[in-house]
Amino acid sequence: MSKRLPDIWRNKTSEKSIGLILKKLRVSAQKEATKSRANLAEDEALEWLKPRTLIKPDDQDEVPDADLEEEVGRVLTTINPQWVLDEVAYHYGQNRFALKAKPTFGKAYPLYIYQGTAIRKDSDEAKAQIAAGYGMVGFDDAGPKRAKVKKSAAEEEEEEEPEPEPQPPPEEAKPEEDAVQEEEKPVPTEEAEAAPTEVADEQAGDEGGEEAAGEEKEEEGGGPPPVEEVLDIKPRVKKLANQFNFCERAALTYNNPRRSVDTQTIPPPRANYGSTCLQSIIFDFYQEDYAKKMREKEEEKPKRLRKKAAKHAKSEQQIHDEQLAQRIREAWTILERLVNQNIYDDIAQDYRYWDDPSDEFREGMGSLLPLWKFQFEPMRSHAVCDVQWNPHYQDLFAVAYGSLDFTNQQKNGCLCLYSIKNPAYPEYSVVTESPIICLDVYKETPYLICVGLYDGNVCVYNAQLTLESSYQYKSDSVRDKHSNIVWEIRWGARLIDGEASFFSISGDGRVVQWAVMPGELQATTIITLRSNVPPIPGPDGTLLTVNSCGSCICFHPEKADIFMVGTEDGMIHTCSLKYNRNYVNSVQGHHMPVYRINYNYFNNSIYASCSGDWRVKIWEDGRDEPLFMFELGSPVGDVKWAPYSSTVFAACTADGKVYVYDLNVNKYRPICVQAVVSKKTKKLTRIDFNSRLPIVVCGDTKGTCHVVKLSPNLRVMCKPPKKAQSVDQRTLQIMKLDKLLSLVRDPPFQTGVVDEKFDDD
Amino acid sequence: MAEEGAAAGAAAEKVIHTYPLIRHCDMPEEMRIEAMELSVTACEKFSQNNELAARMVKETLDKKFGPAFHVVVGESYGFEITYECTTICYMYFGGNQAVCIWKCS
Repeated sequence: MSKRLPDIWRNKTSEKSIGLILKKLRVSAQKEATKSRANLAEDEALEWLKPRTLIKPDDQDEVPDADLEEEVGRVLTTINPQWVLDEVAYHYGQNRFALKAKPTFGKAYPLYIYQGTAIRKDSDEAKAQIAAGYGMVGFDDAGPKRAKVKKSAAEEEEEEEPEPEPQPPPEEAKPEEDAVQEEEKPVPTEEAEAAPTEVADEQAGDEGGEEAAGEEKEEEGGGPPPVEEVLDIKPRVKKLANQFNFCERAALTYNNPRRSVDTQTIPPPRANYGSTCLQSIIFDFYQEDYAKKMREKEEEKPKRLRKKAAKHAKSEQQIHDEQLAQRIREAWTILERLVNQNIYDDIAQDYRYWDDPSDEFREGMGSLLPLWKFQFEPMRSHAVCDVQWNPHYQDLFAVAYGSLDFTNQQKNGCLCLYSIKNPAYPEYSVVTESPIICLDVYKETPYLICVGLYDGNVCVYNAQLTLESSYQYKSDSVRDKHSNIVWEIRWGARLIDGEASFFSISGDGRVVQWAVMPGELQATTIITLRSNVPPIPGPDGTLLTVNSCGSCICFHPEKADIFMVGTEDGMIHTCSLKYNRNYVNSVQGHHMPVYRINYNYFNNSIYASCSGDWRVKIWEDGRDEPLFMFELGSPVGDVKWAPYSSTVFAACTADGKVYVYDLNVNKYRPICVQAVVSKKTKKLTRIDFNSRLPIVVCGDTKGTCHVVKLSPNLRVMCKPPKKAQSVDQRTLQIMKLDKLLSLVRDPPFQTGVVDEKFDDD
Repeated sequence: MAEEGAAAGAAAEKVIHTYPLIRHCDMPEEMRIEAMELSVTACEKFSQNNELAARMVKETLDKKFGPAFHVVVGESYGFEITYECTTICYMYFGGNQAVCIWKCS
């Protein structure tokens, strides 16, 4: 197909010739329309197109058909009637009219130049386009199409991405031969280099071949390409019906109506609070709380008391009554003393003034004057297990009632405080659930008395509390009490925290330190006394280590962490609080249980021990052999050094005798042996020197305490030598003992010393 | 006994209270103990820095009982607060510190 520029190619033709052309055009257009209609009917895709009526302008002249049919001869000439041969223009520079130069185009003079889009179909460019599938494609040509093209041309075209070719309107769908219609074809810019003049030439050449449409196919196939190849070319024509005419399809669905559902909860309740804190407020509040706590603690302590108090729910009348009763009681106490002093007036006189006159004639021998006997009626069948003078009140002593008859053990015990001013009845007495075996009065606060019980418990009694109250502190029976009899109990030094503490030794082989905490006792095992017996196989095959049973304990007067322990197998161990397994020193002191050990008041390295093997031994620290040994002929329950003399000690035996020795007077024999009780029914258990008065108290197994007075020979003081009159008594006592010891030590220990005594007997 | 009382009276002058003392609290038992112990820990840990102590208490309580706890630690202050019921604890500690804990979100 050859494309033609529509017109615009205005030669200088006469009007007639233009009319002729128009006429021809019209005819051909009508033919064309009918033909294209037929085609369109077949084409389903273009169904929507409606036939159109030609729109004429209103002022178009009506031309009768006859005139239209009339043949008008027109001749196109080359003479342009409007041509002005000599065109003149005013030349301002020369100030005159001058001829305008005219371009010479031969006989043609371009009035208007339009860059066309048509190309000659036999040009290389057209062929390339055809080969690439542009143009020449009908709507019915779908599918691969074969074209014979020059290979070179095809290659060139394939490199370029062809732009989609807009579909021509239906009327012009198949412009087979009419060149009036223009088919828009994008021409690559590099191919559009045709100069206007060239285009003009082409057009001019085409004008003549207008009618030669029929020969086009021949022309197409006319130029056989030098190299033919069969190529599959995909159709590149997009079936776009019309670039302006498309429809969009969409559907609208229902919009669900919106709902909002909400609930509101009740907000959590709130409240307001305000306060001010200042140091003073905090302090006050703490003080208040602290006071309250202290009060509670106070109330906590004597629980038993508080319960009773609560039971009473005292009214004013009752308080008054009680106060009255208290006053009456005091009055009665005084009256009782008066009566007792009247009754025991002779004893009081003896105590005060009577000294055995025979002492003057018996050099080196003394006697004991029995004074009062103290008995507590409910404790008649109990034994006095321990007795101790009060360190603060010289007339007061504490007595522990228990039982030493282990086959017929008493069910209860009693702690009594007696005053020698009133021998009839104890000043203080409290019955305990278990027999009391030992006691110790606290030196710092003499109303506190710790006791060790037969059942292994330890208690602390406060003599200031009313008589109804029992113990103030008691060990926990489940948690930490001893598992055997508590044989001796001694107050110790205060702990670092300031709490009082005491030590107890028991038959279970433990030495326990008890800290007196507010409201309770806190136990710490200081040492467990290991026996040298090899472990015994237990019932289930385990080896049981055997503890040796402790029987007495004695603290070093100065070194607070050193203490002596006597055991039932006769050993005397020196222990330290610092070691809980090993002994500092260990001596096989006796062959029977060691009952008591007592340090000398004047020399810290001298101590006495007594035992069930009838012997009293005087030891010096660091020596394995005793300095002195005395055979008393009966188990020795207690031995005590006299507080007034460094060489005097007293011992009480199971046959009811009290032995008083003064080593300075006689190193081998007692200076006094006196039967205080009948040896058939009673045994003496414990003895204690009064620290200031020349009296001794000793207890027996029938619940009686005997106070005896030492005769002058038993309490001789040192006379200061003439050279040094001003030396005080204590130094003299120490010198006396040292002198004595030096005699014993030099020559070192002689066995004959003891034997000599027996020889004398 | 009397001796001990006298000792306590004499010591009252210089006694330093180190225990926490609850002034006002409506927390449940468990929470109260938790808050108390936490305050003690925090105050002891940051004895020189109340801010850090408060922060520690707050953050720990937030983790344990849900957010928006508020904690004030100081020696002298006043407050007027709105709190969610059963979440306030106003206590003294160490004799000179006041700790106020409450929750409000």
